[in-house]
Amino acid sequence: MNLPTKALLGALILGISTVAHAQLAWEKTEIEVNPPAGADAAVATFKYENKGKTPINIKAVRTSCGCTTAALKKNDVAPGEKGEIVATFKPGDNTGLIQKTVTVETDDPKSLQTILTLKANVVRLLELQPAFVFWQANEDPKPKTIVAKAGKGVTIKSLEVTSSTPDFTTKVEPGSTAGEFKIIVQPRETSHQLDANLTIKPDSSVSPGKVFNASARVIPGAS
Amino acid sequence: MRALLRQSLLILGLACLPAAGEALYLRDKVSWQSPIPASEMVTVADARGWGSNAIWVDARHEEEFSNEHVPGAILLNGDRWNDLLPQVLAAWSPGKRIVVYCSSVSCGSSREVASRLRKEAELKNVFVLEGGWEAWRETTKK
Repeated sequence: MNLPTKALLGALILGISTVAHAQLAWEKTEIEVNPPAGADAAVATFKYENKGKTPINIKAVRTSCGCTTAALKKNDVAPGEKGEIVATFKPGDNTGLIQKTVTVETDDPKSLQTILTLKANVVRLLELQPAFVFWQANEDPKPKTIVAKAGKGVTIKSLEVTSSTPDFTTKVEPGSTAGEFKIIVQPRETSHQLDANLTIKPDSSVSPGKVFNASARVIPGAS
Repeated sequence: MRALLRQSLLILGLACLPAAGEALYLRDKVSWQSPIPASEMVTVADARGWGSNAIWVDARHEEEFSNEHVPGAILLNGDRWNDLLPQVLAAWSPGKRIVVYCSSVSCGSSREVASRLRKEAELKNVFVLEGGWEAWRETTKK
């Protein structure tokens, strides 16, 4: 047996034996969850078991951001004992596939550090395209359109749009498909700088009271 | 000997199969795995050279922003996107460049924020700061 072959076999045997004798065994180290639209939290439960013959101490549990918490009932895990870490991610205004991690540190020499991954598919309640409309100074004050579209599986009956200033008028029209609306925005004039925040309130059973913002501006020319 | 080598390679190959499967399955889902195009990145030196034409956007969490941030930077992250976005838009005008940064340790959020600014607000000239907040702090220490 030549040297590279021995090295390869050695690495394989070492790798396999490390996995086989790891004491703190995790049922899964990666969990993907699909919270319902509008949910304020995505929760994943990571279960473990001490499959070794000596107690293990979980020294620390750290999350990748302040938006994620990890709850552990007890730090000491006796041989044969099972337990779990409950990771809770608060999506806020994040959307899409979000990945957060929980790092678990133990005194088990075979698993000193384990990274648990929580993946959450966060459904957007309402998509605004674009969320910003603007006119240059002295541009023709033609209306511009923001398309508001309900997220997947979300039913929106109507939209209420209000401008923070009377300098812009807004009008809501039905879009080309169900759950789609056109928000028509128009400035009264474009001779000087104007700024407005458009408050968009969808009438939906999901997250009632949730408000979205868009911006409309008349931008002054370079001086 | 050859049989052993063949078997070892077979085991290695089998071990790679689930990884390859996951990579294929998630190729469109995990956007942060692909590198940011060089044209969408900016160094601290270049961004500082833009002077008042640059709008600095801090994509870290609020606590980190409150501790310290690039002077004049505006907070914008996915946690409170709806509330915070209008402040960035109010500072923007055509010709301005937006520099988004987060901590270099977890710089996925600057990329996400930059991407949302391009897609949702349809802004152009949005860049991710190379090395993030740590790079900025290091450079300004010198």
